Amino acid sequence: MSAQKKRNFKIEAFKHRVEVDPKYAEKTWKILEHAIHEIYNHNASGLSFEELYSPFLVKTSASSWEFRNAYNMVLHKYGEKLYSGLVTTMTWHLKEIAKSIEAAQGGLFLEELNRKWGDHNKALQMIRDILMYMDRTFVPSNRKTPVHELGLNLWRDNIIHSHKIQTRLLDTLLDLIHRERTGEVINRGLMRNITKMLMDLGSSVYQEDFERPFLEVSASFYSGESQQFIECCDCGDYLKKAERRLNEEMERVSHYLDAKSEAKITSVVEKEMIANHMQRLVHMENSGLVNMLVDDKYEDLSRMYNLFRRVPEGLSTIRDVMTSHLRETGKQLVSDPERLRDPVDFVQRLLDMKDKHDKIISIAFNNDKTFQNALNSSFEYFINLNNRSPEFISLYVDDKLRKGLKGVTEEDVEVVLDKVMMLFRYLQEKDVFEKYYKQHLAKRLLSGKTVSDDAERSMIVKLKTECGYQFTSKLEGMFTDMRTSQDTMQGFYASQYSETGDGPTLAVQVLTTGSWPTQPSAPCNLPAEILGVCEKFRAYYLGTHTGRRLTWQTNMGTADIKATFGKGQKHELNVSTYQMCVLMLFNSADRLSYKEIEQATEIPAADLKRCLQSLACVKGKNVLRKEPMSKDIAEDDAFYFNDKFTSKFIKVKIGTVVAQKESEPEKHETRQRVEEDRKPQIEAAIVRIMKSRRVLDHNSIVTEVTTQLQSRFLPNPVVIKKRIESLIEREFLERDKADRKLYRYLA
Amino acid sequence: MHKLGRGHRDKVQQFMAITGTSEKVALQALKASDWHLEGAFDFFYSQPQIRAVTDSRHLEELYNRYKDPYVDMIMVDGVSLLCNDLQVDPQDIVMLVVSWHMKAATMCEFSRQEFISGLQSLGVDSIEKFREKLPSLRTELKDENKFREIYNFAFGWAKEKGQKSLALDTAIGMWQLLFAEKHWPLVDHWCQFLQVRHNKAISRDTWSQLLEFVKTIDPQLSNYDAQGAWPYLIDEFVEYLFDNGIIQREN
Repeated sequence: MSAQKKRNFKIEAFKHRVEVDPKYAEKTWKILEHAIHEIYNHNASGLSFEELYSPFLVKTSASSWEFRNAYNMVLHKYGEKLYSGLVTTMTWHLKEIAKSIEAAQGGLFLEELNRKWGDHNKALQMIRDILMYMDRTFVPSNRKTPVHELGLNLWRDNIIHSHKIQTRLLDTLLDLIHRERTGEVINRGLMRNITKMLMDLGSSVYQEDFERPFLEVSASFYSGESQQFIECCDCGDYLKKAERRLNEEMERVSHYLDAKSEAKITSVVEKEMIANHMQRLVHMENSGLVNMLVDDKYEDLSRMYNLFRRVPEGLSTIRDVMTSHLRETGKQLVSDPERLRDPVDFVQRLLDMKDKHDKIISIAFNNDKTFQNALNSSFEYFINLNNRSPEFISLYVDDKLRKGLKGVTEEDVEVVLDKVMMLFRYLQEKDVFEKYYKQHLAKRLLSGKTVSDDAERSMIVKLKTECGYQFTSKLEGMFTDMRTSQDTMQGFYASQYSETGDGPTLAVQVLTTGSWPTQPSAPCNLPAEILGVCEKFRAYYLGTHTGRRLTWQTNMGTADIKATFGKGQKHELNVSTYQMCVLMLFNSADRLSYKEIEQATEIPAADLKRCLQSLACVKGKNVLRKEPMSKDIAEDDAFYFNDKFTSKFIKVKIGTVVAQKESEPEKHETRQRVEEDRKPQIEAAIVRIMKSRRVLDHNSIVTEVTTQLQSRFLPNPVVIKKRIESLIEREFLERDKADRKLYRYLA
Repeated sequence: MHKLGRGHRDKVQQFMAITGTSEKVALQALKASDWHLEGAFDFFYSQPQIRAVTDSRHLEELYNRYKDPYVDMIMVDGVSLLCNDLQVDPQDIVMLVVSWHMKAATMCEFSRQEFISGLQSLGVDSIEKFREKLPSLRTELKDENKFREIYNFAFGWAKEKGQKSLALDTAIGMWQLLFAEKHWPLVDHWCQFLQVRHNKAISRDTWSQLLEFVKTIDPQLSNYDAQGAWPYLIDEFVEYLFDNGIIQREN
């Protein structure tokens, strides 16, 4: 019988009252019982609906039929008989069905079960139609299970939970799944029907009769498999396998399991394959996380990230290993004496390391912010392990602004400077950086050796944005001085128009003392040729700026001198002011001893020695000859003008005004100055804090001071304590009489 | 004393020995308590310091005896003479107590005002009375509060006029003296540490905080707290003790 021929049945009030006696009820029941049998026995196939049910139907109108008998029985209070008869009949049929399913051999078992299930559902539908009146009236009012549900329950109890079928069903399902896992192809459609059947019977049936054992078996399967893999695979391969299994399971669920099983099975796989082996995977020799980071294995890292994020502590495991690797690597980088020889290279390596890991986090770690933070904190940690980092970063910028950024586009310049700023942010001792930056900037400005004014300014702007106006106000002052000096020089030469001679051309930069890095300038004796024009300038300047004092910084100047050598070769020498003073002496003498030079120029000994070395001991720049020919300058050395000097360049640069890594004593001095500068800053912070708080305990003061100053440097608690004691002595503060750990502000 | 009966004389002696006061005070107290020792003690301890009446003429005479010929001050020579008369070593710590009573500004000097009003407050106007007073002055050092006052007074008194800090040598001398009275086992290490590592003057805060340190921290430093807001010199001293194995670190 086909379902398409089914019509909608309306229960209409039966117009005629018909008397029903018990014998009639029994007879009616028998008819219905027979109908049910017929349904189950498939004898209805081929017959139309009307043909099958005609004895039971009554046409009450042109379009509606009714099952009179069922209706009658219920109407006349024989519902109970009908219902229990139904139960009995269905149960009997189901037991027969069970036997046939049990009899099925091997692979046919599942198919038989499936087929019988399909039949049962069809039968159930028809039975429900026949007994619809009962279902709608007798069943609810007598709290009976509705027919459809009854049919399902009876199926469950008599088929699924029949002891011969129950175990076999589960074993069959699990076996098929296992085979599929080991690579065989199975009948997924059949599986789907069976699991759907279990779901139809109630989710607790699905869970108890299938899902729970399925999860247990899967757990032990994956436990075994993961153990096997981890012994023989490297980390990358293992993760690939784990990912594959995970995807398989998800696919399995979508094809033939209930959707709710997905979360449960994936969590089994995650636990067995990932969570249980996390540490071993991450630390695997030659293929673990560290190796992946070092070799930029983006795909592997991405896979690891995506897998590990599924399990608790997964990402934090990756992050922690990455952090300690970064710290270790960074620490080695900043402590390696080889690396420290070349500051520019040192910083470049830091930048490269940052770039590398930024890329990894962006490509493989989903730009995860917690990883970014771990990267930042690692950099902050190791950059500050080396207290020369501020100096080196400034030297790097110096190198770039001096020549490294030649020919680079504006955007690229910004990119480089922004990257440097990132490193700058990690510095704890920003005030040390400031000191060096000033020194290096001064040298760049004074030697005119800067690649691009715009780049210089851009850097200042970035520093100002980062650290505030105070940080950069002096630096800006330096630029202003340079510009003003240009104007001054123009004015000077305009005023000298009547006295143009063959005298030397002077270019003066007037530096405002407070803005430029202070360097005590020892005076030296300028050659007579220079003195004249210098005095003229001094007079001119002081004429227009009364009340100021000018001091020549002979240790910072440069000079261009024309020199003629033995065979008439002319060269233009670019030298420092000191070097010029020394060389000019040889206009009136061919040989001079060290002592004579020292006396004549009055240049301080250390500077003089360095100056003479650069003039006499450097190949290609030895415009002077020294006897003896040793590298070092001794007090009784003698110097000669080197007639035989040659160079393929007309212009020869011998000056030594380039910024370079400080020597130990210079470094020491700079650091001392920085420490000195910090003391008043710390005191100011203490006073500010105490003024507003009035009374505060020692540890709180230390914390607050540190917070206030952290954008410039990290104050040493011992220094803070000493400053407090100094303030006590100067009667800005006192200790509380009752609690010696408390300090009071004295107005 | 000759007018007293034997029993009374004994009581007077006992009283003086126990309270460290002069015979005059002893007599006063015993008379007031009708020669019962217990009562005499009660009487004595419940009275503020008995101000004996002093004769200002005697005080003037005394002052003139010790005053420097050129300046209206008792200077070094005068002080030596005074100590001699008192039969006391000039280095004796009791002179510090005396100076404290006199509110003397600087050691080895007494102004007229300081000397005279000092003696008045002590209730003495003769060398004999002064001498008798000395034992009770000594016992004042045993009192916790008084010791602290005298200790802190010593800083200002021992330092050079116009200086903020106390020269190291002087400080060390004072400490040796003071911590002989109030025993501190680490005083020698402290002094050595200062000479080796510090070699500079001592600030007032360091001076006063040292006493607190001595009073609260046990000689094994078991309750020393690095976060305890001690002056940095004391922190360094603790480090010095640990580093040199003088005290074992407890960790």
